Amino acid sequence: MKTRSLIFGFAIAGCAIRLAMPPCAEADVSQDEFNALKEAVRQQGEAMQKLGQEVEKLRQTHMTDEQKHQKDMEEIRQLREKLGETQRTAASAEQKAADAAVAAQMPPVSRVPIDEATVNHNFLILGDAEFQYAKTDGQHGSFLLADFAPIFLYRGGDNILFEAGFDFILQNNAPNSPGSTTTINLSFAQLDYLFSDYVTLAAGNLLLPLGTYSERSAGWLNKIPDNPLARSFLPGNGVGAELRGAVPVGENGKLLNYSVYGVNGPSSADGTGNASALDLGGNVGLRSDNAVANLHGSPSGGARVGWFFPYKPHYDFELGLSGQSGEWDNAGRHVWSAGVVDASLHLGPCFEAKGEYIRSWYGTDDHGNVRPDGWWAQVGYKLAGLNLEFPGVNNLELVGRYDFLRDGLGTRTRRYTVGGVYYLTNTLLFEGDYEFLNSNDPSQQDQFILQLSYGF
Amino acid sequence: MKSRLGVGLGLILISVAVYAASIDSVTGDDIKPADAKAANPKPTDSKKADAQEAKKAEKKPARKPSGAELYSMHCNRCHPERYPTERTAAQWKTIMLHMRVRANLPAEDARTILKFLQENSGR
Repeated sequence: MKTRSLIFGFAIAGCAIRLAMPPCAEADVSQDEFNALKEAVRQQGEAMQKLGQEVEKLRQTHMTDEQKHQKDMEEIRQLREKLGETQRTAASAEQKAADAAVAAQMPPVSRVPIDEATVNHNFLILGDAEFQYAKTDGQHGSFLLADFAPIFLYRGGDNILFEAGFDFILQNNAPNSPGSTTTINLSFAQLDYLFSDYVTLAAGNLLLPLGTYSERSAGWLNKIPDNPLARSFLPGNGVGAELRGAVPVGENGKLLNYSVYGVNGPSSADGTGNASALDLGGNVGLRSDNAVANLHGSPSGGARVGWFFPYKPHYDFELGLSGQSGEWDNAGRHVWSAGVVDASLHLGPCFEAKGEYIRSWYGTDDHGNVRPDGWWAQVGYKLAGLNLEFPGVNNLELVGRYDFLRDGLGTRTRRYTVGGVYYLTNTLLFEGDYEFLNSNDPSQQDQFILQLSYGF
Repeated sequence: MKSRLGVGLGLILISVAVYAASIDSVTGDDIKPADAKAANPKPTDSKKADAQEAKKAEKKPARKPSGAELYSMHCNRCHPERYPTERTAAQWKTIMLHMRVRANLPAEDARTILKFLQENSGR
């Protein structure tokens, strides 16, 4: 019983194992069939070899055909080029014949200049001219050719500029002689070299940055023909050298500008230290006896710092502080100094206000310390801001100025100027004003002035 | 009887196991630890990024004035408008050198004004 169970169990296990094993391959091909199959495979191999040889032949034939095709294409391209050249030659000949026929009938056309923006050197004349009629109380009225003031500019590169300004003035030789004299003043002549974005060197006969009036005035810019009274305390120009520039502050157009300079400075007309000998503009280095010397041997130094605050175009405010100091008499015993506070305000394209406070002080042999001072304030309003429909009103600007002056030697003057500017064009101005004088100097009289100014 | 039946069943099971081991099986990839982090970001990173974006927006520079605006800002302070067509490009270059010195203009503003004048000079 046990044995039968054991045998039965082994039999079942054996069957299970047999089922788990992979099936065995069984050979049922005979020897003849194998040989036939072998012969068939050999024959197929020979056929494949022949096919391979034929494919190789066809490939070589194709390569040869391809090379011939490339040669043919190259020949066709060359022929096309020759054809195009022949056509162009024919067209050019026709055009030349047509041009010759036209040229024979028309006058020659002037050559077009090259792009001038690329020209490295450039010479230019700017400037202004004024023609006046003036009537002073107690005197005859008179026509005056007041001023012809050309400015010569020569640009010698991107960073080099030479500029010079002249004033040609006709002056009556009366009361002592007949005729008239043409007076030529060199108002400034300087060489500018722009070292960098922030520093410019200027050297020569400089317009001094004492306030802004000297640097920013011209006959067609001033709106009122006469200069402010207090400007008579200051030298307008001086021979020397200057460093100047502007530094932006922030992104909205605010800036700080500066000027630092050294010039020969004021001098004495007769060498003494008397107040009446003070000469603000004569110390230019070359004397009338051909000696080259600074009359008092010590240069003057000065500087200006300005702050510019634009709110938006046509709305801005500028404030400046400047001064100069140095010896003035030949002995070098006395110092001449000056300080200026300048300001300007624009509120829109139609309203402008500006002014300066000027103070100077200098020692003298005969009057001790003399302290002249004065100030001026000017306003202008263009009537275009009123949006009136009357003809001509939009070209009219009303202007007014108040001047106050104390010369430090007892003379006090107030001047009230009212007038207007009519803009015939943007550069041709007709100005008229009346000056009311209030002074303890009897030579100061009321005055009526008409002026035609042209800026070019 | 029971033990012999158990032996028989055991042999059957062994044979089934041998058969199963002869078949290929396919298993999946393990999830990497980095993917888990990306799928679950920390909540504070987005707040920091928002704050930085807000700061950048505040610091955007103001628009620079155009050539025409700078022209009216600097040039019309002293004189009536001169039209770009009055001069050639080369002449404007000379004039702007003169005005940059005379009016003490910043270099960049002078270049922008010059570009405006040259582009509109028409010659």
